[in-house]
Amino acid sequence: MRAVVTITLLGLALISGRMNKPNMEILGETTLMGLRQVLGEELPRHYRSDTDSTMVRMGYDLVHEGRTQKDGRQTTYISRFYSCTSCHNVEREDADLTRIDPDSRLEWAIANDLRYLPASTFWGVVNRTQWYNDDYEQKYGSLVDAARNDLVESMQLCAQECSQGRMMEDWEVESMLHYFSTLEVELEDLGISGADAEVLRYGKLSNEGKLGILDSYFLPRSPAHVGEVPADKKAGYGIEGRAGKGKAVYELGCQSCHQAGGESDLVLDDSKKTFRWLKRNITKDDRYSLYEIIRKGTYAEYGHREYMPFYTLEKLSNQQVEDLRAYIEKMAD
Amino acid sequence: MIRIVSFLMLLCVITCSAQHFSSRTFIDTRIVNGQSVETNASGIAKFIISHRFGRLNTGAYELFGLDESTIRIGLDYGVTDFLTVGLGRSSFQKTYDGFAKVRWLRQSHGERQFPFTVSSFHSTAINTLRDPFPQKETEFSERVAYVHQLLIARKVNDDLSIQLMPSFVHRNLVIGEDSEHDILSLGGAVRYQVAKHWALSAEYYHDVLDRLDPNRFNPIALGVEIETRGHVFQFQFGNARGMIENYFIAETAGDVTAGDIHFGFNITRDFKLRGRKYQ
Repeated sequence: MRAVVTITLLGLALISGRMNKPNMEILGETTLMGLRQVLGEELPRHYRSDTDSTMVRMGYDLVHEGRTQKDGRQTTYISRFYSCTSCHNVEREDADLTRIDPDSRLEWAIANDLRYLPASTFWGVVNRTQWYNDDYEQKYGSLVDAARNDLVESMQLCAQECSQGRMMEDWEVESMLHYFSTLEVELEDLGISGADAEVLRYGKLSNEGKLGILDSYFLPRSPAHVGEVPADKKAGYGIEGRAGKGKAVYELGCQSCHQAGGESDLVLDDSKKTFRWLKRNITKDDRYSLYEIIRKGTYAEYGHREYMPFYTLEKLSNQQVEDLRAYIEKMAD
Repeated sequence: MIRIVSFLMLLCVITCSAQHFSSRTFIDTRIVNGQSVETNASGIAKFIISHRFGRLNTGAYELFGLDESTIRIGLDYGVTDFLTVGLGRSSFQKTYDGFAKVRWLRQSHGERQFPFTVSSFHSTAINTLRDPFPQKETEFSERVAYVHQLLIARKVNDDLSIQLMPSFVHRNLVIGEDSEHDILSLGGAVRYQVAKHWALSAEYYHDVLDRLDPNRFNPIALGVEIETRGHVFQFQFGNARGMIENYFIAETAGDVTAGDIHFGFNITRDFKLRGRKYQ
């Protein structure tokens, strides 16, 4: 029964998504991956061009809930503490796919009623070529070596370290890859200009040149840089906060995990007492200061595996931290 | 079939989206002595250690009751978000207890409103003292007591929550010839959030039909609740020593007016035993 419902909802979502989108076709292809293949690029080993609906359904369940039905039986959770969607959206998160701009990502989240999460979206994850980039090495050390250039390895690292769960079985990984492949970027999403479309279709440019054009429309990796905690927490980052933006960070970001029944034990509601408590913790000189928590996160401990991941500068800019502070201070007063 | 399922799902999505449930009416599944409307989230095991000490008015020699401790160790488990089952063992009367608590309705606002959260609590307790009733030979069935409670709570605002607890206690065997097997009691509780992580609470049960034994009293208790990362500490002062419902509702021996006050506390710790759907 659950499978029928999931497939129905998934089908409706996919159909409605496709129906809203006019199909852009170049050289007989409508997807970024398909066009790159036509231009001579080898398909990455994590990409499933011929997705299987049962695998997609199981992958969907695993990503969204952490378990699925297989052979008529409920499987065990990958993690007791998180599901993939605790930290990752599955929708497009940026209007402009060629640059990192936290402010415009937040605007997009507000406009599309998305959560503002610390990890990159799974939308287009199969189109990327690197994961656990840049400063993730500071947190996970040599574990990122294998994960950086291999989506399957990065999924396993995420399952075991980030979500404090178990190693995934081969069929689970395969199911998720089938699901991820349905979240691939389509040519229509790229906003390719008419001139570039003409070149891609009919231009005498080499395939490498055409691939270069495609590269200019989509970032193949999500940069990740650790931000510093300000030396003087009272002064903060020295940027004036915008309480309106901070409200969105609080509601779409903080509260996505810190809601009642959410991933965290610590519930951040909209009560005055919560805001006053948060305000007191902004400038506190300990690891629970707002700045410390956002920039460094917390660590899983024996007996308390749940932790908070840190926000990179790309996922929460210093300006947005000050926005959040301004909102908290406004609500506390 | 698929069309019917899709229609029902769509209906559910539409109706649910118009309804916003109140959450955390109480922080824990206990208020002071008694149960709150809250149930464990699915997959959460709650380990509870409770202590009740002797009377404060026993003086310094007994360190105001601290020399005389009783303990209950319990484990509750959230089978689903709305069904919790639990087991416990109290040194008081060497009693084992098991219970089920079901949350039937949730307070909600928005287009579909409901003013209360309603749960029911059902427990069985077995006294395993060697000679609980020395006057006579005791059958197993006579050692058993049952409690049924309806728990009706309202979160009035972010800080204040109130609860009513119509309660029925049945004891298979009672000592006195005039003692009643069945006690009907109406409980009331209030909790006020003083700061982000601590609150004050109070609880009282009134014997509605005046059926308590002459040397038994209505239980009253005041508590301070402190929430930390993963733990909840509930400190309390009250006239009851029993830590399960049939004892504190029907067999509280402390007379508040005589200063028979016990200090006690509950410490709860949650463990996630399995995952769940988070969004």
